[in-house]
Amino acid sequence: MEKSIESIWKEGFLKSDALVAPKINNLYSQKSIHIIDKFKRMFKINLIAIVAFSFVFLIVSFFVGIPITGVMFFATLSVLVFINKKLLNGLDKIDKGVSSYQYLKTFNEWIKKQIAINKKISTFLYPIIFISMVLGFWFKDAEGMPLGERLVNEILIGFPDIYLIYGIPLIGIVIALLILVLLAFFGGRIYKWDLNIVYGRVFKKLEELMTDIESLRS
Amino acid sequence: MSSDFYKTSILPFAGIIIKLCRAYTNSQEDFEDYYQEVCLQIWRSKDNFREESQWSTWVYRVSLNVCLTLLKKKKNNVQHFVSDSLTVEETESNFAFSDESLNLLYDAIRKLSEIDRAIIMLYLEEKSQKEIAEIIGTNPNNIGVRVKRIKIRLKKILDGKIN
Repeated sequence: MEKSIESIWKEGFLKSDALVAPKINNLYSQKSIHIIDKFKRMFKINLIAIVAFSFVFLIVSFFVGIPITGVMFFATLSVLVFINKKLLNGLDKIDKGVSSYQYLKTFNEWIKKQIAINKKISTFLYPIIFISMVLGFWFKDAEGMPLGERLVNEILIGFPDIYLIYGIPLIGIVIALLILVLLAFFGGRIYKWDLNIVYGRVFKKLEELMTDIESLRS
Repeated sequence: MSSDFYKTSILPFAGIIIKLCRAYTNSQEDFEDYYQEVCLQIWRSKDNFREESQWSTWVYRVSLNVCLTLLKKKKNNVQHFVSDSLTVEETESNFAFSDESLNLLYDAIRKLSEIDRAIIMLYLEEKSQKEIAEIIGTNPNNIGVRVKRIKIRLKKILDGKIN
């Protein structure tokens, strides 16, 4: 006589050892590896994008007559990429074989170190970018004469009494210094703002996962 | 997720969670992933439980939603890589229960549509039509007819395979 599906179901599970729940310890291992791999991919793409941008900008800068800006940009961003590539190599050394919690904790420590270093770099990076822009345009050729000098001459026509230091209006130097100080002061914050735009979602997931695991361990 | 929550609120329903996850997966690895994701989502969504239904109903509903979501994701991923001529989902599993009849029944269940799979599993777990309807989110009057149709389909698939 043919068995009914109800009896196959009941008898099958009575005989079978199929109702053994998988170990819950591995719950987070794949998620941790997935999140960190995603971050690594994004980080690598970001570095490649910086290299590509600085290289293209270097070439363009020669064509538009601001090679100083292009060279300074290229040199500064190359240093930035070099330092971050070194940091990324450190991330590859994290052992995936350790527990998820340990893996995430090590990664979290790496992130903190990476952010701290980049925050320090940003204190110099943004002012250097500003200086490179100013110098680039100052020395840009404007009908046989640097654009900066031409600009000063124009200002002197309107304001002949203006105070000059080494041929540069004092007010201009003060404004430039003020911008440099502000950029140095807010460099770290600009970096964190930029970081959140690019990696915000990954960091949020990481934080949630850490909280979950900590709760699981408690 | 605290181990207390797992022991008191998930483990008593582990049987049906395991059975559901088995119906939507073809390998031990996928099954473990689905099971773990279901447990995680039950824990994460526990604060959304409003006590309008039984906790067990809530657990089944979350389990089913997670399985369907993961299955959909898997299908989408596979579709990127396979040609249209290949079937996206295999019904033959690469893991086996010790009971051969149960293996055949599971293979037959995997041939059903995603919702029919859930309905027949809940029916086999002796859930009432009302509870099945509540979990699936449909009208209880349709469940009885649908179960009959599914059983006929399963019998056709299993015809001659099980004595």
